[in-house]
Amino acid sequence: MNFHGVKAIYLFEMARTWRTLLQSVLAPVISTSLYFVVFGAAIGSRITEVDGVSYGAFIVPGLIMLSLLMQSVMNASFGIYFPRFIGTIYEILSAPVSYFEIVLGYVGAAATKSALLGLIILATASLIVPIEIAHPIWMLFFLVLTAVTFSLLGFILGIWADSFERLQIVPMLIITPLTFLGGSFYSIDMLPPVWQTVTLFNPIVYLISGFRWSFYENADVSLGISVTMTLAFLILCLMIVRSIFRKGYRLRP
Amino acid sequence: MESSDIVSIESVSKTYDTGFKALRNVTLGIRRGEIFALLGPNGAGKTTLISIVCGLVNATEGKVTVNGHDIVKDYRAARSLIGLVPQELTTDSFESVLGTVRFSRGLFGKGPNPAHLERVLRDVWLWDRKDDEIRTHSGGMKRRLLIAKALSHEPQILFLDEPTAGVDVELRKDMWGTVRELRDSGVTTILTTHYIDEAEELADRIGVINNGELILVEEKTRLMRMLGKKQMTIELHEPLSELPERLGGFGLELVNGGSELVFTYDTQADRTGITALLDELNDANIGFRDLHTTQSSLEEIFVNLVKRPT
Repeated sequence: MNFHGVKAIYLFEMARTWRTLLQSVLAPVISTSLYFVVFGAAIGSRITEVDGVSYGAFIVPGLIMLSLLMQSVMNASFGIYFPRFIGTIYEILSAPVSYFEIVLGYVGAAATKSALLGLIILATASLIVPIEIAHPIWMLFFLVLTAVTFSLLGFILGIWADSFERLQIVPMLIITPLTFLGGSFYSIDMLPPVWQTVTLFNPIVYLISGFRWSFYENADVSLGISVTMTLAFLILCLMIVRSIFRKGYRLRP
Repeated sequence: MESSDIVSIESVSKTYDTGFKALRNVTLGIRRGEIFALLGPNGAGKTTLISIVCGLVNATEGKVTVNGHDIVKDYRAARSLIGLVPQELTTDSFESVLGTVRFSRGLFGKGPNPAHLERVLRDVWLWDRKDDEIRTHSGGMKRRLLIAKALSHEPQILFLDEPTAGVDVELRKDMWGTVRELRDSGVTTILTTHYIDEAEELADRIGVINNGELILVEEKTRLMRMLGKKQMTIELHEPLSELPERLGGFGLELVNGGSELVFTYDTQADRTGITALLDELNDANIGFRDLHTTQSSLEEIFVNLVKRPT
């Protein structure tokens, strides 16, 4: 195991976060706060409670998940795409680091950043609405698992993309709509029966549901299904990454 | 292939997905401690060959070992011995000089060694600029930084892909000095270059590649002796209107309005014919005021080689 190599990639990626602190941390915190203003204050005044939880507090797990998913995908995809774009990837590919170590460095850093951001948003939200976390260990489990899984997805995206436009397509056109439609701001019980069934095909429903359960012990789907679906998505991403490196797809001609 | 070879390339071919054959059955051994120059026109396969050895491109066929380590099966041991300076000036613009060199060392599995990094940066005259962001540097400084990055993990083999492309004459000569110092310290250096004088100046051996095939590999001095023709120019006292019949067997050329005779001879032959020619000139009462010899440059040899049909 090349620990120095993994550490070098990890620290290099984390250093980028500190260099771009405003973009990396402050911007998502501000946009999440704005969601609270719009959804919590404006809409929350009309919907008092959902499943026995005040609307402001109800949307907190969904909002954290929204940022977590977006930031995981964007951090990891940019992290690997940018060296490909400017050509510095040659150094990674010519170094004595295994595929696993490369993924560990890049995905580890992206997941760390997004998980920290999730916690910062949680802290910000707790200043605005009263929040109780019924199962803190499960909350951290879902936070870390989601950050790792979607950072892996971002890593795949960063290798697949051959332009900045493509890099933006998945977060903007797939992740964001799926998150909004995945129960970030509502319980799927509030939807008509047909749409409830359709929503179950959205994988993000399971993440948000499990995460929300760790806060308030109420969920759209059972905890077991949430954990199973999240782990299944993680395994799928790992298999795709393994295949990419084995074939050298877009990395080694 | 010899047992002293530190890099051994056996029957390597590369065909890209587009169908383009970049390398055709290349076999080459790089000797420990030498400076080897790989010459060839654009698209000849130089960078592909280097990229295969360094792990950037997968070979379609063949085998490469570095100090006995297979570059695929034992890639960690093989790659940790290699430093690569790419052709393009690819750097992380917002990173600091020292930060990027430290990154390179870690990436290659080496623990921190501030003294070594200072030495490397001083060797390429960048120590005073170690805290600068790379984007503030000129092209020449970036080129030197890439060399420092490649040397940060103390490699035994250094690949320089067009190392002096786009740098000024003074810096080029400084870099040649650096390469010689590396050779003296035991680092094996393989460089590709378009500058023939660079190969002529630095290389111990030269390989010429064209259309993906290695045309020849030879000691530089021997190559120049073998393929370089030598010419003797004789400046006459009195111009000649035509070449006297008795000098016809020497293959002379009358140039410069008849005031100079040019004699082309083979340096490898038992007898060059110089003595006989001078005797004939004396017998024919053709006086001369001066004579001098010239030898083909490596550039002329190279051009002749790649022009040959393969």
